[in-house]
Amino acid sequence: MIDRRNFLAQGGAGLGSLALAMMLHEDSQAQTGGSIQVLHHPPRAKRVVQLFMSGAASHVDLWDHKPMLQKHHGEKSDFGEHVEAFQNGLGPWMKSPFAFSPYGESGKMLSEVVAPLGACVDDMAFIHNMIGKTGVHSQATYLQATGFDRPGFPGMGSWISYGLGSANDNLPTFVVLPDHRGFASNGPKNWGSAFLPASSQGTAIFPQRDNPIEDLSARSNYVTESGDKAGLELLARLNEQHRAQRPGDSRLEARIRSYELAAKMQRSAPAALDITAEPQHILKMYGLDRPGATYPSEINRAEEAEYFGRKCLIARRLLERGVRFVQIWSGNDNGFPRRNWDSHEDIERDHGPLAHGMAVGTAALIQDLKQRGLLEDTIVLWTTEFGRMPSTQGSKGRDHNPYVFTNWLCGGGIRGGISYGPSDQWGYKPLDRDSPTQVYDVHATILHLLGIDHRQLTVRNEGIDRRLTDVHGHVLEKLLA
Amino acid sequence: MKHARRNSAPLALLVVALFLIALPSATQAGDFFPQQVAPILQQKCLSCHSGDQPQGDFSLQSVAQALADGYIEPGDAAASHLVELISPIDGIAAMPKNADPLTPAELAVIRKWIDDGADWPADFQLQAARVSDFAWWSYQPLILPAVPQSADPWAKTAIDQFILEKLDEQGLQPSPAADRRTLIRRVTYDLTGLPPTPEEVATFNNDSDPLAYEKLVDRLLASDQYGERWARHWLDVVKYADTCGYDKDKLRPNAWPYRDYVIRAFNDDKPYARFVQEQIAGDVLFPGSPDGVLGLGFLAAGPWDFIGHVEVSEAKIDGKVARNLDRDDMVSNAINSFCSVTVQCARCHNHKFDPITQENYYGLQSIFAAVDRADRPYGADPQIERVKSRLEEKRAAQKSELAKLQKQIESDGGPHFEKLGESIRQLQADAKVSKAPEYGYHSAITRTAATTKWVEVDLGQPTNIDKIVLRPCHDDYAGIGAGFGFPVRFQVQIAANPDQWTTVVNQTKTDYPNPGLNPLEIPEIAAPVRFIRLTATRLGERKNDYMLALAEMQAFDGAGNNVALGRKVTSGDSIEAPVRWSRNNLTDGKWAQDHDPKRSIELAKLISERAAMATPENNAQRNRLQESLVAIEREIAALPQSRMVYAAATDFPTQGNFKPTAATPRPIYLLHRGDVQTPRQEVSPGLLPLGENADWHLDAALSEGERRAALARWLTDQQHPLVWRSIVNRIWQHHFGEGIVATPNDFGRMGAKPTHPELLDWLACEFRDGGQSFKKLHRLIVTSNVYQQSSQHDAAQAAIDDGNQYLWRMNRRRLEAEEIRDSILSVSGSLNFTMGGPGFYLFALEKTAHSPHYEYHKFDPADPASHRRSIYRFIVRSQPDPWMTTLDCADSSQSTPRRNETLTSLQALSLLNNPFNLVMAQRFAARLENEQADLPDQIDRAMLLTTGRAPSDSQRAEMVAYAQDHQLVNFCRLMFNLSEFVFVD
Repeated sequence: MIDRRNFLAQGGAGLGSLALAMMLHEDSQAQTGGSIQVLHHPPRAKRVVQLFMSGAASHVDLWDHKPMLQKHHGEKSDFGEHVEAFQNGLGPWMKSPFAFSPYGESGKMLSEVVAPLGACVDDMAFIHNMIGKTGVHSQATYLQATGFDRPGFPGMGSWISYGLGSANDNLPTFVVLPDHRGFASNGPKNWGSAFLPASSQGTAIFPQRDNPIEDLSARSNYVTESGDKAGLELLARLNEQHRAQRPGDSRLEARIRSYELAAKMQRSAPAALDITAEPQHILKMYGLDRPGATYPSEINRAEEAEYFGRKCLIARRLLERGVRFVQIWSGNDNGFPRRNWDSHEDIERDHGPLAHGMAVGTAALIQDLKQRGLLEDTIVLWTTEFGRMPSTQGSKGRDHNPYVFTNWLCGGGIRGGISYGPSDQWGYKPLDRDSPTQVYDVHATILHLLGIDHRQLTVRNEGIDRRLTDVHGHVLEKLLA
Repeated sequence: MKHARRNSAPLALLVVALFLIALPSATQAGDFFPQQVAPILQQKCLSCHSGDQPQGDFSLQSVAQALADGYIEPGDAAASHLVELISPIDGIAAMPKNADPLTPAELAVIRKWIDDGADWPADFQLQAARVSDFAWWSYQPLILPAVPQSADPWAKTAIDQFILEKLDEQGLQPSPAADRRTLIRRVTYDLTGLPPTPEEVATFNNDSDPLAYEKLVDRLLASDQYGERWARHWLDVVKYADTCGYDKDKLRPNAWPYRDYVIRAFNDDKPYARFVQEQIAGDVLFPGSPDGVLGLGFLAAGPWDFIGHVEVSEAKIDGKVARNLDRDDMVSNAINSFCSVTVQCARCHNHKFDPITQENYYGLQSIFAAVDRADRPYGADPQIERVKSRLEEKRAAQKSELAKLQKQIESDGGPHFEKLGESIRQLQADAKVSKAPEYGYHSAITRTAATTKWVEVDLGQPTNIDKIVLRPCHDDYAGIGAGFGFPVRFQVQIAANPDQWTTVVNQTKTDYPNPGLNPLEIPEIAAPVRFIRLTATRLGERKNDYMLALAEMQAFDGAGNNVALGRKVTSGDSIEAPVRWSRNNLTDGKWAQDHDPKRSIELAKLISERAAMATPENNAQRNRLQESLVAIEREIAALPQSRMVYAAATDFPTQGNFKPTAATPRPIYLLHRGDVQTPRQEVSPGLLPLGENADWHLDAALSEGERRAALARWLTDQQHPLVWRSIVNRIWQHHFGEGIVATPNDFGRMGAKPTHPELLDWLACEFRDGGQSFKKLHRLIVTSNVYQQSSQHDAAQAAIDDGNQYLWRMNRRRLEAEEIRDSILSVSGSLNFTMGGPGFYLFALEKTAHSPHYEYHKFDPADPASHRRSIYRFIVRSQPDPWMTTLDCADSSQSTPRRNETLTSLQALSLLNNPFNLVMAQRFAARLENEQADLPDQIDRAMLLTTGRAPSDSQRAEMVAYAQDHQLVNFCRLMFNLSEFVFVD
């Protein structure tokens, strides 16, 4: 087996080997298909779910309780320094429109709109001192999704797929469930493979479409099951004859096998996405117990719960079947009416239903994974591109806050029930400004839990040995169980 | 093994040159610091802890500075604070900040050095690590090498000679020549990206002319399809797309003229130096030439962040970041593409492997300091351009005369005039405007005031009207406030039936002073009215541009009811940007109001009083000048519109915070760690040094255009060691699948070394000195015996060179995404060869007003508009076509000097089930049925079209049986999935 790093350094030289490696990559049951032959250390987890709240979800209205905002609500805000706001959101201090209460043995204060997650807090580790680099959605989304604030870099799921290979032979390794109403900033570039092989890119699944996976089945009146069966057999024979006349080219063999794998995927994927056989109590747990319900045109909680819950349930079914990385998006582009977390105008209006929907689905996912014994080796990461200001924009909204925001982790190897790295009394910046947490640290920690040293998973591109964490990143030891 | 051999320089051999002020002493103990300690400090510490303002006031440049603060206790590492700072706990160390900690070996060196007394020769100064070594193959002068003189008849061309020499050295032999069918398929795909037709294959097979192959090559190079194929390779490198990328991913409707320019450049065989120069500074070097502007699409081809430029001001951190990344894209596009140097590595620190400092990098940014990406006109008819510039001169003269007159009127008016102005300003400032978020209607923005715009309300049926009221807008944009967008000259017309207009207000001869928030009331209409139209003939000024805006149009009946409320609004154009601006806002009953109506009346009175202060002579003169200005502007507007290309630009209409520089370069600072918040010294424009003593500075006083021109000239210097090698390597790579240098964008120490350095230099010299003709270079390559070899495997030779780096056979390759799509169109008889023009969509386009949605799954692939060659498709940067992406199409977010070649199950699904394949299978079947009567003949024809050969008897029998059982169309669908179809031998 050639060294893949050298291999890619050559820009894909020796195409036969590449093709074979790709097939192995797709086909492996064990951890032989990835670029990492032997894990760097024993892993704590095998799978990752990343929940991405697009538009920038407010930490101070969901997870990061700020009594000072309650106390000084309506008073002129004073940050003690010049603040560069993205728009003009430096109005008076604004308390959260949502009430906070303690949950779990840890007594974690959570907002009422994420109350369903109260049952999970003792498994969750909050990071309240995340900082970003920019208040511009696209760059900030790239940063959280790929570790770089500009286009051209692979998503975290791509790196992990590339490093570890697949754990199944009939589904993609890295699956993305976009918000069905539209893509977040940067669209599919957030899960693109960039300079990694195409097989490590995220495969978008739209469960509500006729063809949930692009081209999974043929929609045409002339296509028949028997015709396809006989056709694939004939194709395999013709391609085999072609291959036999051209020895020494493993790509031709790989190509024949790719059609066998495609057939397997055609059989398996619909079953993985079909939730009709799920028992009623599971459907209810995920907020899916109102089949055929109709909803008003205004954003509302039940509808959001159904949307997000469906994605979470499908995520669980994919994880069970060996999908290694699932990315779920909440929130679309900045169109009207608003259906994302960018609540410049009204926190209560958007964050209320979106957060409730997210919490119902996420709590169900965590509890369901737990009862199936999967949570212990599945990492759940909740993230967003930045936070929101503790001061008011307009009368009810909040402006961007790239200076501090919250992430949380849960599951495989994570110490539950802790809150790490507090923000300051307002939720404006980290309490300790000299030691904030950055996306590199979160990425390094996730790779660490998967058995990967983030400094060692590299690929040479355009003269640089690239890695997910650039030249940064520390494993957050305090978060490890 | 090939990969090990072809790997780039091992890192251990990379000696980072110490920038030494003094030579170290020769004693062995004295060597420890310079040889072991200094490199660590230079690489890990000095980028922050050096210079005039070292971080934490701690410098490690000299022994005096290093020991001054007591961070180092000579003789006792354990007691030294420095060691504490750099020793990691749980993998984290305080220093180096935000970077990987020192390795245990490096730490051991530092500890030992301190324990041994921290011996640091007093005159030994350190500088941040920097490579200053140009002793690398790609920086060596380009000199024509001698061609080997083998007597072997196989070596008929110089290329063959160079290749054969290496084959001999390795104990390898060339493979036999490929058969003619293989050869025509190979060279036709290679030069045109399309399959040869069965007729072309037959003709070539039967051509007894000894120059049959050369004739074939000439025919292909002369075809339009050649440029369409090879332009695509270049567009891959430069990141071309038809949308901006980032947030919103908005459309770039005028990107395509650059794409067409590149196609034309290849088809016209434009000399390479000219091609390079046009893309960097065509507007400066070739003024008046359309290609000089079109080529500048190169600098604008990459992604652009709408939010970071339009919504965030350049004074803010996020605005600075966006503009820094924007220039970074221009610098790396220019230097990666033309020089194969990874200059972008020096944005945050000196290049770690190649001789490029941060100052060099920011010197290049400084070249592009005045440039942004925007639509700019490219030559209409030069005759028209001359007329236009004469008119523009006249307009400028009239304007300055008008300004002089205005000054005259002011000074004539004396203190009273001034006082009036003061009162007006005061009243305006005091106004307490209340307005709903729905401002009103806003037309598109234009560059000339004398543009006609109209907006119209349809009352639904003829209605008796007493009075019409027009209410002005209020918008603080550009400090305008009340009366925003109210037309300067206009007419109001009414009609009971379509097109039977009666004019009720004619204000087209003289200017209407800004009404503030005072409504324009048109009483005594007393007629049945269905349509009310406001036509502006001279627009209100916004900020160096013009538009029409109106908050509300009302029509009152006898009972005083506004019957226009909620009625339908139409207009010539409109900026639909709800909530603020929308046609519907014109009849929504909402407009800006000043709570003190008396103030508005007073304001209007003062304004007209001030207007009346001018003498009748001056007034007449002003009217005359204004008249003539309007006339000139009409003449300009009537000229044929210049066509636009999205390109590097310094002059364009302002859009929010995105403002043209008017060719004034922004100051460029060296950014410590690439961070806009830690600027260091200002950097003047410069080039890359190509040797130790090279003078790379440019004159800081050079104008914007001269800076780019200097870069363009430097890039096309005959002596440039990188440029000519870079381009011939790219061409070679596309012919053989592998470059002579395997890393086409990186000729530095992290890249690969050339396998055939003499051949590379020979090709570069031949190309440079032989007219810089791509077509000549192609001909040289494809008529060589190396190119015409068979691609068949040979176990014995593979045992020596498995990866075929010495080219003992031809490389088999999978077709690229565009080739597969174009071939499917071609064999199914659907391909439309129309060239050029705006890109066709492969998606349904929705919600364009804000963030466009590109809905690929809603597109009908039967749409004939999409049956053109793939290079003409509209390329969406953030949401690329899924089918093409699955087939390893270039990602326009990054430079793609070569495509990946993968084989995945998703690819199999795409080729089996994508609606495009399904529709084309039907076309293919219909074509076969049309051309042949019997099924076996149809099968033969299908094979000839897709693979260039007839099926074997057994294959034919199987295929016929399948088509009989499952329809010809399903058979056609399979044909697109044959390995023989998607691979070229």
